Amino acid sequence: MSDFPITLLFPPQAHFTQPYMGLACLKAWLQAQGFSDVQQVDASVLSYDHFLSPDYLRWAVRRSEARNGLEQFEDRDELSFSNMDAYRSAAEVAVSGDVLADRVDGAKAVIRGDGFFDPSRYIPASRTLFHSLRVVSAAWAPTKLTPHNFTMAYSIDRSEDVLAATLDEDQNPYISFYRECILPDLIKRKPRVLGISVIYGSQLIPALTLGRLVKEALPDCHITAGGGFLAYIGAKLLAAPAISACLDSIVFHEGEKPLEELCCALRDGGDLSKIHSLGYYANGDDGVVRGIKNPGGHPIALNDAPMPDFDGTPFEKYFSPEVVLAYDVNRGCYYGECSFCTLPTVIGPGYRTRNAETIAAHVKTMREKYGFSNFNFITDCLPPGMIRELPEQLIEQKSDILWWCDARVEPRAYTKEGAERLYESGCRKLLFGFETAVPRLLKLMKKGQTPKRTLEVATNCNNAGISVTFYAMVGFPSETVEEARQTLALLRANAAGTRGPDGRMGPVREVSLQTFHVDEVAEVFRDPTTYGVELLPDANADLQLYHDFHANDGMSQLEAAEMFDEIMAGLRESLPLFHEDTFFYFTQKSHYFLHLASGLSPDQFIEHCRAAGIARQAELKEANRAEFLLALQVLPDCSTREIPFSYTEVARRLAHPLARAARPDFLTGTFLPDLEIEAAKVLGSLCQTKEKKRVLAYSPGSTEFVELSIDGEAVLDALADAGSYGNLIETLDNPSGPERERLDTFVHELHKLGLLFSPSSALPSSARHANLTETK
Amino acid sequence: MNNDSNEKKSAEEVKAEAKPKVDPKKLDLGALDLSVEKVEERISPSETNVFDK
Repeated sequence: MSDFPITLLFPPQAHFTQPYMGLACLKAWLQAQGFSDVQQVDASVLSYDHFLSPDYLRWAVRRSEARNGLEQFEDRDELSFSNMDAYRSAAEVAVSGDVLADRVDGAKAVIRGDGFFDPSRYIPASRTLFHSLRVVSAAWAPTKLTPHNFTMAYSIDRSEDVLAATLDEDQNPYISFYRECILPDLIKRKPRVLGISVIYGSQLIPALTLGRLVKEALPDCHITAGGGFLAYIGAKLLAAPAISACLDSIVFHEGEKPLEELCCALRDGGDLSKIHSLGYYANGDDGVVRGIKNPGGHPIALNDAPMPDFDGTPFEKYFSPEVVLAYDVNRGCYYGECSFCTLPTVIGPGYRTRNAETIAAHVKTMREKYGFSNFNFITDCLPPGMIRELPEQLIEQKSDILWWCDARVEPRAYTKEGAERLYESGCRKLLFGFETAVPRLLKLMKKGQTPKRTLEVATNCNNAGISVTFYAMVGFPSETVEEARQTLALLRANAAGTRGPDGRMGPVREVSLQTFHVDEVAEVFRDPTTYGVELLPDANADLQLYHDFHANDGMSQLEAAEMFDEIMAGLRESLPLFHEDTFFYFTQKSHYFLHLASGLSPDQFIEHCRAAGIARQAELKEANRAEFLLALQVLPDCSTREIPFSYTEVARRLAHPLARAARPDFLTGTFLPDLEIEAAKVLGSLCQTKEKKRVLAYSPGSTEFVELSIDGEAVLDALADAGSYGNLIETLDNPSGPERERLDTFVHELHKLGLLFSPSSALPSSARHANLTETK
Repeated sequence: MNNDSNEKKSAEEVKAEAKPKVDPKKLDLGALDLSVEKVEERISPSETNVFDK
């Protein structure tokens, strides 16, 4: 071990399908500056791997039952709104917890192996992982961990809350995770510097939790934190009282230079006050610890930066069969005008790029070194010159990679020929900022583009074989309901794979829809009058980044949230990739791309899903035939549990806009107790209907949770005992008329919902159980 | 976390022990409540922001 070991760590929670790039860039830079011992740890993916294991899930089931078991609800006559979320979790854990623990290893093996490419195995495996995270969440309730988010009952915009969360042994799952899985190695290694990268708000509490534990265990280790999220709130964090219990310093903006200088200063006894873009804590003359923020420095010349170094990355832990490597072709945005976007102000500052020759050479070397040929280029957008030069270099240098990235609409570059050349160079997917179909709003957003041109660019790319995703926004200040519907109509009319109202197919495969938020560096925040909004500041939120607002015209924030649902419902009807369970491919980063990289065209991918019965229209039509219906069987691991209150009614009330607004938003992480009270008033409580007992049914991987009556459970059990519906009908002496019709309808419905399968079908249900019980 | 998973019975074992067999002949087919309810899961913005997170 060297005299100056450095550990760079990516804390939970972030996506679990591919490695994060920042650590690899920092590691490469520090090594190039002579620091030979730089370790990188992706604690986010390690935590998912730890939580999604049979032992942990069984433990989570017991902890959830001990803290919030279903039996504690059984004697209640009434379920108040404030207990509905806990009740839902308790019911889900009771019916699914143990079977999920039995199957989670099999699900991971499918996602990480060849089964990934078979939709009939991938979808149940994905569902098993998603549901397993609900069991993990139940153990730490009201904390919620999903594949895309982590929230607690603490607001991340209040330092007092954040610090309390770092100490909450009852609700913070990362305290025990760090103690078991991260701290022992760190204590053994004794790094002199621990650099924690905080990109998302969901990482703030886990990052500070780790910082606190490491400060206690390794007092000589300097703990610094940086990353995109701290570029926004770092100064506030530095000024907040008591954060020094978790951190020694904060790096602002890009980390390479300040981190290098920090390591040099700590190694050589230098002065922290001389390091640009660093904030640090120091004892004042009065003995009080205060945060001191140094002036900002210049970012590095990107083209001189070394190739990202992923050595030591636990590639086998990611939830993908093949890792997609991230590579930074440029940093910042060459356009930098969009009024809603604040990235240009927190990256850099300033736009810088690597040249095309360097990029092609680097990715070729990375492919050869790591054995992965799929890349996610990290960029806000490629400028027109690069759109032309990069393909030439990738082809000329025989980089032999496949890639996807974000893009800006540049009609002169994404011509028919330009798009074909991009495809030839390995481009398989591009994501364009479409935002809205309304010219008035595009002007207000300063997008500098029209829907017509955007669709032309998308069509050229789609025709060349490149899958097109649009980013779209709902709730931009002054946007009306009618305007939002205009956007939806245009997106639906241009969906690829289904015919629009005019009978033609469009170029759009996916839409990443977001609701508009005001953050503190946005133009809307600086100039609210121009955008017709009145900001609603929160005096107690000392770490506040996002602000609630009142819009003078157009939709309110709540109406925009409702419109989000309406647009998503429309898109799910029109976009084949959003149909039914194929949506899982969209929600897991790079998973759809990996199919394109395996050689399928976007249309072939949809056909692949249809052939495997994932969009189960064909099978559901088949179920209208009597012989098909009679052959249906209950899935082997289908379980049921009597419940005291209606699960679906609870879920419906929790999905009410008011109830949703009270829960922490995924961007802001804000928990709104006032809205919780209002939601409780409006949504009321539920009474137990003892005379009409209900049952929750579940078959892991095959279905969401289904509610039946106790009679329905009896028929389901009888069907399971009989072996098939046909056998049951015989046992019942072949009932006819309305009685038979009702039974047929019931069985048909259970099949549609995934609790029954046809053994004669080549469709997925029959394969689900067998394939998922496979282990690594 | 305590690792006592070996003591835990599988879900199928628990189910098999807990549930008495249903005698289908005793089902009153005309009076059965065969309602089925399913939750339409709402898709949250965090699940449509997957390219960032």
